[in-house]
Amino acid sequence: MNKRITRVLRLLFVFLCMNLVWYIVYLLMNHPILPSPGSVYKAMFQLEGREVLLNVGYSLLRILEGVLLALVIGLLIGLLMGRSPLWNKLLDPVVYLTYPIPKIALLPVVMLFFGLGETSKVLMIMLILLFQIIISVRDGVKAIPENTYDVLTSIGAGTVQKFWNVTLPGALSVILSTIRISLGTAISVLFFTEIYGTEHGMGYFIMDAWLRLDYPEMYAGIMLFSLVGFVLFLLVDLLDYKFMKWRR
Amino acid sequence: MSSSRISGLCIQELQVEYKSGQVALGQVNLTLPEHGIYTIIGPSGSGKSTLLRAIAGLLPNYTGELLFNGKPVHDKDILVGLVPQNYGLLPWKTVHGNIQVAMKITGAAGGDKAEREARITHWLSSMGIADLADRYPLSLSGGQQQRVAIARAFAILPQIMLLDEPFSALDAVTREALQQIFLDNWLAHPATALFVTHDVDEAILLGQRIIILPAGKADSIEVLDNAAVFGMKHEEKRGSNEFFEQTKRIRKVMQEKW
Ligand SMILES: Nc1ncnc2c1ncn2[C@@H]1O[C@H](COP(=O)(O)OP(=O)(O)OP(=O)(O)O)[C@@H](O)[C@H]1O
Ligand SMILES: [Mg+2]
Repeated sequence: MNKRITRVLRLLFVFLCMNLVWYIVYLLMNHPILPSPGSVYKAMFQLEGREVLLNVGYSLLRILEGVLLALVIGLLIGLLMGRSPLWNKLLDPVVYLTYPIPKIALLPVVMLFFGLGETSKVLMIMLILLFQIIISVRDGVKAIPENTYDVLTSIGAGTVQKFWNVTLPGALSVILSTIRISLGTAISVLFFTEIYGTEHGMGYFIMDAWLRLDYPEMYAGIMLFSLVGFVLFLLVDLLDYKFMKWRR
Repeated sequence: MSSSRISGLCIQELQVEYKSGQVALGQVNLTLPEHGIYTIIGPSGSGKSTLLRAIAGLLPNYTGELLFNGKPVHDKDILVGLVPQNYGLLPWKTVHGNIQVAMKITGAAGGDKAEREARITHWLSSMGIADLADRYPLSLSGGQQQRVAIARAFAILPQIMLLDEPFSALDAVTREALQQIFLDNWLAHPATALFVTHDVDEAILLGQRIIILPAGKADSIEVLDNAAVFGMKHEEKRGSNEFFEQTKRIRKVMQEKW
């Protein structure tokens, strides 16, 4: 418990230091493109609560949908490749060839095919995460020693029971760390996709403030966006804490 | 075939080859009566684990026949409790969770939750590990993990019980205590059991018969009757003359075949 408090205190301290640096740079620059921390926080608290919630909610929903979609498809394919040598042989070249494509470059293609609406935004996030998840699930599943299944096999467990009791928990730690790593990329991509074709979301909010030259509000948006990312990271940490107890 | 009518576990001309083409287990013919317990000893690599794995249905490729009460061993309604050499516990489940999942899958306790919990508590305390219920396997000693694996095998009340060196990680004192506990529990729930061990004394203490696997796969297996020792009170076995005679007999076979 004590450890956690010191950790929180350390984080707070670093956060304060960053604000201090910001303030010093603000003093040195003395230019409207960098407002002081005080005015940004003031702008943040003057934002209409409903509007902020709506924007944050839209962004979170898109990330959530993208992550879930990538998880479902990625788990399915990764599992197939991890458990069946035949499917691995068939799909491995596909993954190998498509993996190095920078997915962000597909943004215009996705927009052409799926329009400017919600679908293309969610699809982009899914694309970013999907390949990482496929590969990590496959490797995670392969890394489970075959004899882990022995006792369940001997008492006649079915495929589904083996999946829930062995395969999924065995691969979960890899899946969680992959999500943690690719979440950052997913959030950046979300920003890009929210610049067009929507009137909601954090990306829209920031760019809108920028166009209106309302810099304090723009910075307030950036801070809020970062907060969203931070909360998502905490969520993954929480899942890790809950499901990875057995390793400690 | 008359042999298919024999009750108990009937192993006919069992032979196992792994993919490399190397023979892991030479011809085994063996009949183990229902509610009987035989111990198996044999040098390392003689195929003891392979024999158990074949019966447990973990080997897709073997030749020969495995019957239990005239039906194939791998029939759905024949329940096998396995204690693998590496304990086979799921590291992401607690001690309690490991036993619970096995009971759920086998439908032990008729799917009744309260009954299931009561049984888990019962088996954990019979193995003397009730206080470990919420611990994860990676935080347990080898001996503690073995006890969990044994508790799990008992908890599903199997018809066939296969134990692969279940006491190998224990110190002599704990080992003797657990042999007694195991035997008491087995007598209360006498599943048809095969018990692999490296320890000659243990083989004599726990088996109605003792199966000795040869080092050479072409050699035949030796089966020693051990009814005389098995019939005694557990505490009196070690000191008895029969025990001593049996030890000598086994050592002689070991000298010839190992
Ligand atoms: N998965 C496998 N693939 C190929 N060969 C195997 C495999 N498992 C076991 N063997 C071989 O089969 C033979 C019998 O092995 P087994 O594990 O049954 O021996 P054991 O009697 O249980 O030995 P120990 O007392 O050391 O546990 C050995 O020669 C071993 O090398
Ligand atoms: Mg073995």
